[in-house]
Amino acid sequence: MTRSWPASLLFAYPPDWRARYGDELELLIGDLREHGCNPVSMAFDLLRGAAAAWCRTRRGFVMSERSRHALITVLWSWVAFAATAAWFGHDLGIYPTRSIAQKIAAVHQVVPDAHHVLLGVGVVGIAATVIAAVPFALEAARYARSHQRNSIFTLMAVPPVTAAIWLGGVQFTGRANSTSDLTFAVVWLMLGLAGIAGSAQAVSAIVRTCEFSRTTWRIGTSAAAAVTAAMLVGTGATIVWGLAYRSSQGHVAGASSWLVVTAIMAVTTARAVIALIGARRAPAPEPAVA
Amino acid sequence: MDFTEPVVLVLTSLADGPKHGYALAKDIESFAGIKLGPGTLYGALSRLEDRGWIEALPAEDRRRPYQITSAGAENLAVHLRTARQVAATGLHRLEPKLAP
Repeated sequence: MTRSWPASLLFAYPPDWRARYGDELELLIGDLREHGCNPVSMAFDLLRGAAAAWCRTRRGFVMSERSRHALITVLWSWVAFAATAAWFGHDLGIYPTRSIAQKIAAVHQVVPDAHHVLLGVGVVGIAATVIAAVPFALEAARYARSHQRNSIFTLMAVPPVTAAIWLGGVQFTGRANSTSDLTFAVVWLMLGLAGIAGSAQAVSAIVRTCEFSRTTWRIGTSAAAAVTAAMLVGTGATIVWGLAYRSSQGHVAGASSWLVVTAIMAVTTARAVIALIGARRAPAPEPAVA
Repeated sequence: MDFTEPVVLVLTSLADGPKHGYALAKDIESFAGIKLGPGTLYGALSRLEDRGWIEALPAEDRRRPYQITSAGAENLAVHLRTARQVAATGLHRLEPKLAP
């Protein structure tokens, strides 16, 4: 079949729109021409359709699945890393005893103070997460309202509601002074971890579902890079500190938790790094056609 | 989503079964007397597919049929009931003016 001249106007459409509908539309143009449709009116209609497609393109930005997946992977890696580092870093200042911690600091003055490094990593990671969360939350809310998807509002409520409930419980367990209270505190800690996992799952579902602008994706990617860099620093500091501890002790007794913590940190950091590298190799973000 | 005329026409056409682009154009012309241009038709199809109100089926001889989804059927039904009510009200109010 000879290509009808109005079909050449398909090049006026956005590339991604053309990739999806171009072949079908070209066939339809051919069918309509064979049945006597006026090519001039068809050409005007195609130009109007192309203008509408470009207008819709500016509204959103469809990230490649790999890039979307990378952000979610970094989020989960960061959550696992932060939970591990918080548990380990909480005890680091007096780990395994206050006197030994001071001894390590005295003997290995160039060894980074892992306690404060992990604290810094936490501050950087949380700040990056919060900064990225604001535009994502605003655009997710806009998407939920325009698409009448109330389930997205429910998902958005999960992290703050979970945090409020858990912190309320912490106020109670903070005054624990009996065995039953301490048991409750341990259970509450476990529930906190479940809450963090649930919140991460809710955020992942939002990132997977909604459309976000190019700027928001850039902010998210920058935050993911900052978090991953902080994780690298934290992992490195923990490894160096642990090796210093082992050499100061002359044996490995008591270092098993350090090994486990280091392994978890290294694995989560590696996952985040690999995800970010993979995202950089992914095709460039595509303009939305919706 | 706004119920533009092409959107309503496409959904109405798909309400009785899957159709590809040319079949849609001919069906709409037959029941509404409106000739939808190819750009208008595919603009409506892309918006509807994005909203999940229609879905593409495997291509047949390079022509890809579309079918209405349950969400699309529900939204079309709501819109048509409202339109029927508006039409009935409008015709009722016009009766005195149109009466001989």
